[in-house]
Amino acid sequence: MMIGLLLWTLLASGEPAPSELPQPMAAGAVEKAAEEPKPTAEQLQFFENRVRPILVEHCQKCHGEKKSQASLRLDSREGVMRGGDQGPVIIAGKPAESELIRAVRYEDADLKMPPEAKLKDEQIADLTKWVEMGAPFPATAKSNPRTRDPNHWSFQPPANVAVPTVKDAAWARSPIDNFILSKLEANGQVPTAQADKRTLLRRATFDLTGLPPTPQEVADFLADEQPNAFARVVERLLASPAYGERWGRHWLDVARYADSNGLDENVAFGTAWRYRDYVVEAFNKDKPYDQFLAEQLAGDLLKATDDNQRHEQLIATGFLALGPKVLAEVDEAKMHMDIVDEQIDTFGRAVLGLTLGCARCHDHKFDPIQAADYYGFAGIFKSTRAMENYKKLARWYENRLESPAALAAEAGQAALVASKKQAVDALVAKADETAKQTLPADSKPPEKLESLYPDETKMELKRLRDELAKVQATAPEFPTAIGVTEAEVADEAIRLRGNPLKLGDVVPRHVPPVVKGPETPQFTAKESGRRELVAWLTDPRHPLTSRVMVNRVWRWHFGKGLVRTTDNFGLLGEAPSHPELLDWLARRFVADDWSLKSLHRLIMNSSVYQQGSQATPGLVAQDPENRWFGRADVRRMEAEVIRDTMLAVAGALDRTMGGTILAVKNRGYLFDHTSKDLTDYNSNRRSLYLPVIRNNRYDVFQLLDAPDATIPSGDRTTTTVASQALLMLNSDLVMKAAAGLAERLLSGSQTDAERMQQLYAIAYGRNASPEEVEANLAFLAGLEKSLTMREPDAAARQRQAWSVLSHVVLAANEFVYVK
Amino acid sequence: MFPKNPVSRRAMLGRSAVGFGSLALASMLADETRANTPNVAPLAPKLPHFAARAKRVIFLFMCGGPSQVDTFDPKPLLTRDDGKPFPHAKPRVQFAATNNLLKSPWEFKQHGESGLWVSDLFPHVAKQVDNLCMINSMHGTNPAHGGAMMKLHTGSDNFVRPSIGSWLSYGLGTDNSNLPGYLTICPTLGHGGVTNWGSAFLPAVYQGTPLGNASVPSDKAKVSYINNSNLSRDIQRMQLDRLYAMNRQHQAQAGQEASLEARINSFELAFRMQTEMPQLEDLSNESQATLSLYGMDNPTTANFGRMCLMARRFSEAGVRFVQVTHSDSNVQWDQHSNLKEGHEKNAREVDQPIAALLYDLKARGLLEDTLVWWGSEFGRTPVAEGKNGRDHNPEGFTMWLAGGGVKAGFRYGSTDEYGYYATEDKVHIHDLHATILHLMGIDHERLTYPYAGRNFRLTDVEGNVVDKIIA
Repeated sequence: MMIGLLLWTLLASGEPAPSELPQPMAAGAVEKAAEEPKPTAEQLQFFENRVRPILVEHCQKCHGEKKSQASLRLDSREGVMRGGDQGPVIIAGKPAESELIRAVRYEDADLKMPPEAKLKDEQIADLTKWVEMGAPFPATAKSNPRTRDPNHWSFQPPANVAVPTVKDAAWARSPIDNFILSKLEANGQVPTAQADKRTLLRRATFDLTGLPPTPQEVADFLADEQPNAFARVVERLLASPAYGERWGRHWLDVARYADSNGLDENVAFGTAWRYRDYVVEAFNKDKPYDQFLAEQLAGDLLKATDDNQRHEQLIATGFLALGPKVLAEVDEAKMHMDIVDEQIDTFGRAVLGLTLGCARCHDHKFDPIQAADYYGFAGIFKSTRAMENYKKLARWYENRLESPAALAAEAGQAALVASKKQAVDALVAKADETAKQTLPADSKPPEKLESLYPDETKMELKRLRDELAKVQATAPEFPTAIGVTEAEVADEAIRLRGNPLKLGDVVPRHVPPVVKGPETPQFTAKESGRRELVAWLTDPRHPLTSRVMVNRVWRWHFGKGLVRTTDNFGLLGEAPSHPELLDWLARRFVADDWSLKSLHRLIMNSSVYQQGSQATPGLVAQDPENRWFGRADVRRMEAEVIRDTMLAVAGALDRTMGGTILAVKNRGYLFDHTSKDLTDYNSNRRSLYLPVIRNNRYDVFQLLDAPDATIPSGDRTTTTVASQALLMLNSDLVMKAAAGLAERLLSGSQTDAERMQQLYAIAYGRNASPEEVEANLAFLAGLEKSLTMREPDAAARQRQAWSVLSHVVLAANEFVYVK
Repeated sequence: MFPKNPVSRRAMLGRSAVGFGSLALASMLADETRANTPNVAPLAPKLPHFAARAKRVIFLFMCGGPSQVDTFDPKPLLTRDDGKPFPHAKPRVQFAATNNLLKSPWEFKQHGESGLWVSDLFPHVAKQVDNLCMINSMHGTNPAHGGAMMKLHTGSDNFVRPSIGSWLSYGLGTDNSNLPGYLTICPTLGHGGVTNWGSAFLPAVYQGTPLGNASVPSDKAKVSYINNSNLSRDIQRMQLDRLYAMNRQHQAQAGQEASLEARINSFELAFRMQTEMPQLEDLSNESQATLSLYGMDNPTTANFGRMCLMARRFSEAGVRFVQVTHSDSNVQWDQHSNLKEGHEKNAREVDQPIAALLYDLKARGLLEDTLVWWGSEFGRTPVAEGKNGRDHNPEGFTMWLAGGGVKAGFRYGSTDEYGYYATEDKVHIHDLHATILHLMGIDHERLTYPYAGRNFRLTDVEGNVVDKIIA
């Protein structure tokens, strides 16, 4: 197809093809474009009498003003000549080559139009004649709304912006403050007063570690009068292994991490935990983000200096393999393309902040991403192997993590099995020989001579066979990790309307030319192209990679991004509230060698971060959604943080790091059609280590808005519903935590007054006020009274009463919200 | 629909309807609030797009694929040509290998004034046939349970998308704020599991609330965390009062955040829910006659009978969408072999309870605005799998609707002469979804949610309302 190739050549040159990428359109441009040999009056009359009625009656319901399926509109000359997603439908003067004519003739089994019934022969003849005439159609003056804008801000490299000057220069501790303050000042507002030390410590500790500060840490910070006290807190928290657990979990949201496949066949991703541990470690080591990306997208292709590094890099490629797959899909071609699609979609949203998946069936409706660009990426991922096979049930691929020890163990096991087998064979051979001799010379020996063995030999044989079976059953599992490797390298054909069987033009692997800045990568026939893809992504001039990540980090610190649609930087995403700050941060991030810990320091040591939450009514009225960041938002903690904090205050949290507690072995069913549930969430490990079972998330997490784990999610929502209150009132988790906390108080302090202070110190990181002490003591007294009838034992009654009070403290807003 | 200025609209709603906000305002803002205020008053009743014919849905899901040619779609030629090859092409993608035509082991008769055909498998339902709107020309897209179930429940067989009950909760809110808007009784956890009642990218409040699952008997199926086995009611009341006081004090110091107020209210609502839900689950105030009607005095029908009776009680109490799943710890209707034994056992378990539900709803005047929907993820092949089984068949099968604005005693569409492919007046799953939404007063093309860069809807880019089945 010449048109496709021509279009491709134009795109590859880096310049959008003028006819394909809509340009900002001046008024009247449409009429100009339609300036072609003017149709004669006769032709127009033929059109109006014979052709327009057909188009109106049979075509425009789906290809008109209300609907334009396949992006095709047949209600204007421009629409008719432009065609749809798959290009022109009419070649003027050449009906036989015109898709529209082929469609109405029902020549193509996959494209019969109109679908409900074939047109009458004379109608087809009229349409054919009309195309022969050159498809005369009176011009209209309507223009299309502006979409697919190639000049959209996020496709341009970040600008080198100057830090703005501000009136209140003393407020600005960090360049970030200048950007935020200048916008507030421009709107006649002042920022909110800085938060007190307790609030600040609580905020920073939850923020960086997902755990509450201990009473000791609070006391230490309050006692530290040095000017850099808070900066040192930030350093302490960044150095804590809990930092990687907290921020690793953020990335796992984006990587749609799960320990099971979900979808139709919910089997265990029994080696996914290695990817989870890799992510935690990457954050703790402050692995540069460009390297972190490179390993996840192309770790199998990177050089390694030792086994550890090689394993790490292989494990990292789990990012591409962890998606949900329809493993019982009967249609293998569809399944293969669905997996590639999932990879493109995840990679697009997670790394680029673009919804590339939209271009699978047609050019993106809003962004200047063409179907050809989608299949440019598809070539890269189709040349990458994520599956061992596609037969029902399909098996995903796993990388072997070879090391001398693992290989030795494997060889040892093979030798052991071989020797046991040999022992069995030797005995059988010998016993057969003996058995044959006992047979009369002329009789035909039975097929199996075993029945003729003496009892003693039979028993010996059974013993040897049992030994063999035992050795085989207890084989040490060779360490593997779900991930990808290279497949046969090939460019992909566009799938027309996304149909995996309907092939269009083959497009070379390429990156969308609309993304400006980095050098255009050259893909080779030797490799999938992931190496080149990574080089392109991590080019310092890439307009999306750094912006998307600094915006994510901002979102995780503040609860909303500078661009609030963290996973969509396209035309339907929101514009940044502070575009200059976003660009400044993006460039700074790259200049700091993509260091996330540097970025945290930069943000947390700013005045913006350290503001209080109680803003003036004037500011709240002017900026109800706090898009200017003139105060701290009061935010409910995430599901995992709530659970971890409950266990922590109850003194029950198990801080063991890493590894797996999944009870089902690799590729085993979590639950199949039997609805028998093999998932087990009964553990006191940090929430991060609880299995993420797709289709059956831990209900505590599901109720508290943990994401679905099938789609990248950089911006968790927070809902407030009654079922969460039921969880708080009645769940084992909360009841047990309350009992544990009560136990701590009763064994830790002597008097009720002391216990009350200890309760507030542990749960809220502050002192209880005299009024609070009084109200709670009255509450306890009331409980004691109610319980007297039911619980004769005074000590037990006291435990119950404190447990009931602790329960209230854990259910309260102060416990689950951070200021 | 993408609001030009979501900020001010959301802010306005935040100010005027903090917490569980005003019904009138929420209704006024109709579509726009649906997308923009999920966190403020997510389940407040919302106005439909146009007058609704049905207010609620009961979906009787027969897990595994009951055979159309053995239940509601009689094929005389199949009987005549038993054992002969199917004369047309079989589908390009088949689930398993199949053989020649296999006649139905059951007799079909015409029933009621409408004269609709029902096989001997459903003697009780046959008596309700004048209430049914039978669609003989259903077709789907996927021949495996997982894909087909997800298609049936969510409109997508390869991506995680919101389920139909979630879309309806999102679109219409709930009529009883003491109860969840969407309940699913004993759902199967396999083949999509939670995805089939999940809300995907819609806020979690719209997801279905399960009572038990398919491996749990229905009398043990309860909403999780609905009661506290350790704390008595009076202690809980004391807790709530103390909690309220603490939360109010915290709120005064915390700074502006609407959800603080919402959370305070949510505890009161939870406490009310805790009262109302067990009352609905408790069948002791139903008469013996009603219990017998649903077959609860018969071990064969008791389990499914309870589900159907609970469905009626939940619907009556204002739950928008109730799903009842008939599945044991196998894929119940999946008779790849032993069709006769399997289908007979299955039909016996559900026949009387289903008929009872229809009868009971009608007697209470509820059938008029309750849409009852019977169906499965696909049908079965008219050709044999092995000797005496049938394979999955998404190409043509039967579902029926009753009440809620559909024509009664009516048959629509047909399959070919052997019952393999839907041929006349074909109704795709997407079309059925569009029609159900339409009956609930919702335009399936307007009920959208912005996610990942575009507006999503239940029917994707498909779906046509089947006008001809609407009364």
